[in-house]
Amino acid sequence: MARIALIVSLAAMLAASAHADTAEAVNDVILPAYDELAEKTTALADTAAVDCSADALRDPYQAAWDAWASIDYLAIGPIQQNGRALAMSFWPDTKNSGRRAQQALVDAAPPAIDDPQAFADLSVALRGLGGLERLIYPSGVEGDEAVLCRLRAATAADLARMAGEIRTEWDDYASMLLDAGDAGNTTYLTADEARQALFTQVMAGLEHTADTRLGRPLGTFDKPRPERAEAIPAGRSLRNVRLSLEGMRDLAMALYPDAPLTRAAFDRAIGLADDLDDPVLAGVAEPAGRLKVEILQQAVRATRETMQAEIGGALGLSVGFNSKDGD
Amino acid sequence: MTHKAASLTAALMLSTTFVLPAMAATPEDVVTTYTDIAEATYSDSLSTAEALRDAVASLVEAPSEETLQAARKAWTASRAPYQQSEVFRFGNPIVDDWEGRVNAWPLDEGLIDYVAEDTPSAEDNDLAQLNVIATPELTIGAETVDASQITPDLVESLHEAGGVEANVASGYHAIEFLLWGQDLNGTEAGAGERPWTDYAEGADCTGGNCDRRAAYLVAATDLLVSDLQEMVANWQDGGAAREALEADPQAALSAMLTGMGSLSYGEQAGERMKLGLMLNDPEEEHDCFSDQTHLSHYYDGLGIQNVYLGRYARVDGSEVTGPSLSDLVAASDPAVDEALKADLDATMQALTALRDKAEGGMAYDQMLAPGNAEGEAAITAGIDGLIKQTGSIERAVAALGVRETAFEGSDSLDDPDAVFQ
Repeated sequence: MARIALIVSLAAMLAASAHADTAEAVNDVILPAYDELAEKTTALADTAAVDCSADALRDPYQAAWDAWASIDYLAIGPIQQNGRALAMSFWPDTKNSGRRAQQALVDAAPPAIDDPQAFADLSVALRGLGGLERLIYPSGVEGDEAVLCRLRAATAADLARMAGEIRTEWDDYASMLLDAGDAGNTTYLTADEARQALFTQVMAGLEHTADTRLGRPLGTFDKPRPERAEAIPAGRSLRNVRLSLEGMRDLAMALYPDAPLTRAAFDRAIGLADDLDDPVLAGVAEPAGRLKVEILQQAVRATRETMQAEIGGALGLSVGFNSKDGD
Repeated sequence: MTHKAASLTAALMLSTTFVLPAMAATPEDVVTTYTDIAEATYSDSLSTAEALRDAVASLVEAPSEETLQAARKAWTASRAPYQQSEVFRFGNPIVDDWEGRVNAWPLDEGLIDYVAEDTPSAEDNDLAQLNVIATPELTIGAETVDASQITPDLVESLHEAGGVEANVASGYHAIEFLLWGQDLNGTEAGAGERPWTDYAEGADCTGGNCDRRAAYLVAATDLLVSDLQEMVANWQDGGAAREALEADPQAALSAMLTGMGSLSYGEQAGERMKLGLMLNDPEEEHDCFSDQTHLSHYYDGLGIQNVYLGRYARVDGSEVTGPSLSDLVAASDPAVDEALKADLDATMQALTALRDKAEGGMAYDQMLAPGNAEGEAAITAGIDGLIKQTGSIERAVAALGVRETAFEGSDSLDDPDAVFQ
């Protein structure tokens, strides 16, 4: 009996420590990142409410996207509600759905532009950071400056609204992650499920970074596709990669700090991104530049494999189903 | 295979009378049921595609409203078994590598035939207006391609031309476009309205190049049939897909659940349903020419349920059944099994309601219209069901203890990550 009691208490201790790593991930990484996102998008919207010229918005816009890039890999919880993940930043937009919808909106100039509730119901492709990018950098969306100005303010306000809602709703979602296994918690039945959910987010985020953010512009050796990089007008293709990697590293380290190999792999990839003097990844069109982006892509993939072995192995976790599954 | 599975079921039913049901199913038995269902599903896809080929032959031989309608009906019938096979895609690399040839979407249909002037296309797709049917000599990049004869080989060679995925030259959706034409109604009522005279001979021909259009349709349908023949062979006794799974039943269980989960969540709930809803864009509709997206969603969902329950209703009315994943999970954790069965059931109720609403007059693309709260609710119910069942599928993976297997590599999973892609 004594031995059984010991085992039970040991299990309880392990369970308690299991909660601790999730708590650090939530409290030290996720919630501060969403605080930052809410703050920077609110600053953007406040600026736009006073001056909705493209010139006035570029700085606060860049700051807002910096905040988003640090947490853009996380696709669980409130971000999944009401299509927010798609609406914050819709990319890649392979059929130019955003530009088509946005141009139609500019041409029609309906009252929905000035009605936040109606605006929130419009296509995700014309809203969000990608939508605002087309309105403050050259993009081919054209029209009456007064309409464009109203649309900028509406898009900025919509971003701030979503970021605020996400942060508010995370209080409840955080409880579900932290109280995994409690009676009535049907989302996470065990602490393991909560950890696995967070682990999966980083693993899927690394895959997205390598395959999509870097893989799309890389195309093939015979046909590189520099024009397919993310956020070219805003000049953020590489910056988004770097900031997202930092955000993922922070979450991985909060989840399991004792992972020196994973930390080193992240740091190496981030260092490569720092050294890469190619903000919109245009270099993929030339062999020398292409090689550098390929090396970064390989470093991101190596980070994923290292994390899977080291953190996944230590915690007994595997990659769960995620929104990036499929084609 | 049907009789093999059926006799196994009979033996199982007998034995369960005397022993605990939990003892009945082994991983080997469950894998056999799965491969039998796959073989039957692809065989039905093939036989209905052959019927489609016959209907297409009648259409091009004697073009009329009747023969066009008959070909469209045959296409619709051929989709029912095929969509149930999509659950075999993820987790079986042999299927995933092949399926782009038969079911790729969305497509820049201007590659194949005439389109409306303002048709949106993929970014930087130089070939979005190639129009093979109107162009006997094609220029693709620096290359000149002789397209004077439209053959299955030509169609196959044009697939993903220029390295652009939207250049879908072959498969169900290319055929769908040739039978229905573009749906130019946006989110209003109505599907594609291609007239039968697009296949008429001589002066009656509309849209130009009717003989080449007929040749393309025949070639694409022939290609679909041969592609399906290849996949049926993969699942027959000694076939590569079947052998890979039989070689490692634990990895096979993981592949089965992976197929269910990846199709449920990232693919169907995400790419196919939520995205269209959030874009309010009928361009994102899976069967956008025929307006039969609701049927695709329904049969995809049914395929997922088939795999879990170890049963498949064939097009001839017979049933393939056998020891199932459900039996195995129930033996390990009855609560997980009950929850997953209930989730699959709830999803099918939602997808049935969606199907009935569309068949009842509100087409899927109309449901995507901004402000159509009723349509949005119908689609969202399906999405929510699929997301919920994914959580239960994860728990089934854990209950069977097959999580790690996926990462150790095996004969069926040469790429350790492939299972989760």
